[in-house]
Amino acid sequence: MAPLARPPSPHRVRVTPAFRPSSLSIPSRAPLAQSRPRELWLAIHLPSLLLDSLRDVVLVLPGRPPVAIVDLGRNGKVVRACDEAVRAAGVREGMSINAALALVPGLHALARNARRERQLLEAVAQRGVRFTPRVSLEPPDGVLLEVRGSLRLFGGASQLCLRLQQELENATGVAVRFAITPSPLASLWFARTGPLGARPVFVRHRDELASRLASLPLGCTRWPERSIEVLGTMGVRTVGECLRLPRDGFARRFGQELLATLDRATGRVQEPRAAYAASERFAARRDLEPEAADTARLGLALDPLLAELCQFLRERGRGVQAIEVQLRHRAVPVTRVRLRFVQPVGAQPRRMAELLRERLAQLVLPQPVRSVRLLSGPLIELQADAIGLFARDRRESGENLPQLVERLRARLGNDAVHGLTCVPEHRPEAAWRAVEPAATPQAGRKARGPAAMTRQSTTSRAEARTANAEARRTRPAWLLDQPEPCTVDRLVFEEGPECIESGWWDGHDVARDYYVARNPQGARLWVFRNRRGTIAGANWFLHGWFA
Amino acid sequence: MPEVVKASVEQLLQRHSARLWRARETGNGAAAAVPTGLPTGYAALDRCLPGAGWPRQGLIEILADQRGIGELRLLLPALAALCRDEVAAGEVYPSPRPDPAGSAHAGSGMPPHDRGSGGWVAWVSPPFRPYAPSLAAWGIDVGRMLIVNGAGTTEWAMDQALRSESCSAVLGWANPRDPHALRRLQLAAEASHSLAVLYRPLQAGLTPSPAVLRLALLGGGTEGLQVRVVKSRGGRPATVNLGH
Repeated sequence: MAPLARPPSPHRVRVTPAFRPSSLSIPSRAPLAQSRPRELWLAIHLPSLLLDSLRDVVLVLPGRPPVAIVDLGRNGKVVRACDEAVRAAGVREGMSINAALALVPGLHALARNARRERQLLEAVAQRGVRFTPRVSLEPPDGVLLEVRGSLRLFGGASQLCLRLQQELENATGVAVRFAITPSPLASLWFARTGPLGARPVFVRHRDELASRLASLPLGCTRWPERSIEVLGTMGVRTVGECLRLPRDGFARRFGQELLATLDRATGRVQEPRAAYAASERFAARRDLEPEAADTARLGLALDPLLAELCQFLRERGRGVQAIEVQLRHRAVPVTRVRLRFVQPVGAQPRRMAELLRERLAQLVLPQPVRSVRLLSGPLIELQADAIGLFARDRRESGENLPQLVERLRARLGNDAVHGLTCVPEHRPEAAWRAVEPAATPQAGRKARGPAAMTRQSTTSRAEARTANAEARRTRPAWLLDQPEPCTVDRLVFEEGPECIESGWWDGHDVARDYYVARNPQGARLWVFRNRRGTIAGANWFLHGWFA
Repeated sequence: MPEVVKASVEQLLQRHSARLWRARETGNGAAAAVPTGLPTGYAALDRCLPGAGWPRQGLIEILADQRGIGELRLLLPALAALCRDEVAAGEVYPSPRPDPAGSAHAGSGMPPHDRGSGGWVAWVSPPFRPYAPSLAAWGIDVGRMLIVNGAGTTEWAMDQALRSESCSAVLGWANPRDPHALRRLQLAAEASHSLAVLYRPLQAGLTPSPAVLRLALLGGGTEGLQVRVVKSRGGRPATVNLGH
């Protein structure tokens, strides 16, 4: 039986990645393919996550009693974490609450709060995003950062750890332990062991992993307790002793699962990690002293908040598509001003401020404003666009259109600005629709007239041209929103009738005979006669102008 | 010293010849002084306009009281051309001097290109709904229309659209009473590369305007659409009958 792994030989030979079933007993000694990505994973372990997550609760307890965090275990409440004073009295994790109370009579038991723990972990991950784009959560108490590319930027591993520690301390105040190795799992194992404040473990090469892991106690692997107990009875107490066991026997006794974790830890098998995506939003508040009664002052008060928002977006390289401003008054409900952008907007404080001013200028304040709050919508990945060099390129790409639309909407209202599209429909009023102005030419291309529709149905270009000429004669350039009753005494009919009878299915049934007519002034009108008698006393209606 | 000054003035005039109108050139050499316009699609009208088409810079006023006489028809071929992007090429890469023979056709000499559609067409405060199926039949890319209902702030909205450089044409319906508003629009139109058209009532033709081109439309009974060139920078007053 071949051992699970061997200490590295003096000449560099690495152990292969695993394209073979792991129960195969002969580890190949072929050199490692260079194409395999070289990664370095920094594990952040939060040893006192449970206590840290409830720290603000603990701090306000009257009389600062000794504290333990409890959870419902198999036999009632079990201590999961406790502070130093309690630990000194002999209380350990896993002890029942009654035993702990016997040791420390004044013990204050707090229920574990999984939501807060998760929040704290995410707060740590959010700080981690500042150091590397690849961040992965390892619940309940670990965060992994891939830092290979960041080492150089931050001046080496020790500098990086120092910066990260400071950052985390300032932001969250948690106690942390780091380790950096090429394998995420090994990093976690290292980070889970060792005293607080010791120098972080740093393993640069994968072939050192097995030997460095050897001394770790099996507890850091978080394998099922039963398995660790069984291994203990066999005299196997460290990872190294475990690695010396025969692979197939180990797999048979403890399952493929545990063998796979060993392979991942020693770097034989690559471990893909799910990337952490921050789901945060921006919110900031500012009290106004004195209260602001005019909107111009509100604009000034919002500027620093917008600057903060933009800083926030810049740090994350992301944008927002909507922001909301809440104005709090003394007695009346909050006034909300929502701003939607046509495209996600990155850190562009001037653009936001401009739009916001425009919108605030129209606002009528029911009461002076006591405080303002700025909230962002969800953060959106920004798409990097190449900026056109020439005016012509810019215009073609319609790059400035979103800003134009936003500016117009800020002053005129959301519904005042729209685009057009054709709808294949017989009823004239339903043959077009107002749409969101499409920012890309491709989106605009979809909407084409009757000619394009016929072209799709395999007819020739000549036919399309005839259809267009026909539509030019029989469809007016101006359409009235509501057909107007009219008289036809002095009209000369030029075309028609064109009977349009449609729409019985949606309640807007029409049955009309359309004519193109000319009035004595020389204007061409589109009129129709209602085939089903009169509507409100009228029989003839004007529906458009051939302008 | 006077020689130097004179030379530099001449140079300046040469450099800005595209924007200058010189009275002595209104004769047969007129075509040389005026930049080529955007063909209107109506040969008779093109012949009356100094650049043989719509001026590409500066405000165009169309004065009409009656609706339905062809006030849009006048413009639609040019809009369709802008959407096809066939003629828009000449404007940003202007030849340093138009060819004296006046044969500098817009877009000639440009590499054949298919660079997507042209810019957007903004309709600011139109009196009715621009009817998409009809526009499409005229060859206009309906997906590039931007309808702005800004009653009371038409000039502002037009100004914004012209300044944004995202529109290849901006049409507005308003009758600004304030000469400054007109002047501002004219300046914005001059500075942008968009076709800027302002529709006003006939009555407005009595008051002066800084627009580069003013056309009065009359729908005379059976003869069809009459277009009277009221003012044309670098051109002469004329009347054209475009028929029905």
